[in-house]
Amino acid sequence: MAHRNSRILSVLAALLATAFSAVAHHGSNVSYHTDQTMTIAGTVTEWEFINPHPQIYFDVKTETGEIAHWAAEVLPTPSMMRNMKVGWTRTTLKPGDQIVLVCNPSRVAGAKACLAKELKINGKDWPMVPGGAAPGAAKGKQ
Amino acid sequence: MRWPMLVAITAASSLVMCAQAAGDFDPHDLSGHWNRTSRFQTFSNVWSGQGPTQGTEEAPFTAAGKARFEKNKPGYGPRAVPPAIGNDPMGTCDPLGIPRLLNTEVISPHQTMEIVQVPGRMIQFFEWHHDWREVFTDGRKLPSTDEVDPNWNGTSIGRWDGDVFVVSSAGFDDRTWLDKFGYPHSENMRLDERYRRRDRDTLELTMILADPETYTRPWVSDTKVFRIDREKSKRWDEQIYCVPTEEYKFNQRVRDVAGGKESKQ
Repeated sequence: MAHRNSRILSVLAALLATAFSAVAHHGSNVSYHTDQTMTIAGTVTEWEFINPHPQIYFDVKTETGEIAHWAAEVLPTPSMMRNMKVGWTRTTLKPGDQIVLVCNPSRVAGAKACLAKELKINGKDWPMVPGGAAPGAAKGKQ
Repeated sequence: MRWPMLVAITAASSLVMCAQAAGDFDPHDLSGHWNRTSRFQTFSNVWSGQGPTQGTEEAPFTAAGKARFEKNKPGYGPRAVPPAIGNDPMGTCDPLGIPRLLNTEVISPHQTMEIVQVPGRMIQFFEWHHDWREVFTDGRKLPSTDEVDPNWNGTSIGRWDGDVFVVSSAGFDDRTWLDKFGYPHSENMRLDERYRRRDRDTLELTMILADPETYTRPWVSDTKVFRIDREKSKRWDEQIYCVPTEEYKFNQRVRDVAGGKESKQ
């Protein structure tokens, strides 16, 4: 039985490794602090729903009133996002949309780029990983 | 009572699945869309930075091979660097080449390798980077490296050895990597791929690489396992090209910024 359990665990471990590698991101662990998150709000200036990874460009008003230009890359490819079947398209984000982004910060202090993890567009949550909830489905976040 | 019934149902389901998998198939028919399901994305069982190192092997580098390996800066694995300072050919949309197209990217959701067999040729289509490769089966001999210029995918011939389809290749462009972890090869690499359709739904591939400039002995890959994807042809073609202008812009506006290079926004 113990042997069978260990075989099951091995298979599960292999499946998990495969699943992880399927969404492993080019250089994410070395470019970003994947064990840390930051929350940042801004106004969308561009949305690129293209390979290798979709990109959100947005402006953030700093405490001194200046505008900082930020970029966030999204981990899944466009085809992966479309396959989530929750409505991701090249027009999901439009210039002027208000976003709140939870993302992994760059390992370079002060760099205005991050790896997107969670996104709220004009008050609605949009899943960024396969299996995530449909837009606006998160509790009371309409 | 519930447990015996559950066991019986599970056993019956397994038997049906086994029977289906072992059902009618022609071992000389490799056609179809295939997704790699085996774990290693390296050429062989070397450590790629995921999971335990126990049981893995070291690449049998020559001194020159080791030096080339050290110059390659991948974005994946234990030697990963930020793409901004890396030199993975994928970062500039250079062709990935054989065997990297087989090792790394044939995996859901990057989707799939299609094999098409026509008289005189076997053709492999790779969705990731939308690339394709010809294997000539018309009896011609493999040219010497004096006869062909190096090519991204090499030059390949194929023949049947029993139920194993053997692809022999030479004439590779040495700018490609064996996998996404930066393992190198020279222009004089010779590669044998051995494909076997294990059952109706499963294709196995083992590769043997001979490259005395880079590796001290012929290097044998782990067995790559592919599972047939019958749904792929029902979906619209994804056309996952690597587009240089898009990649360049992404590098400039995101990767370089995240990697500490000056923003060009």
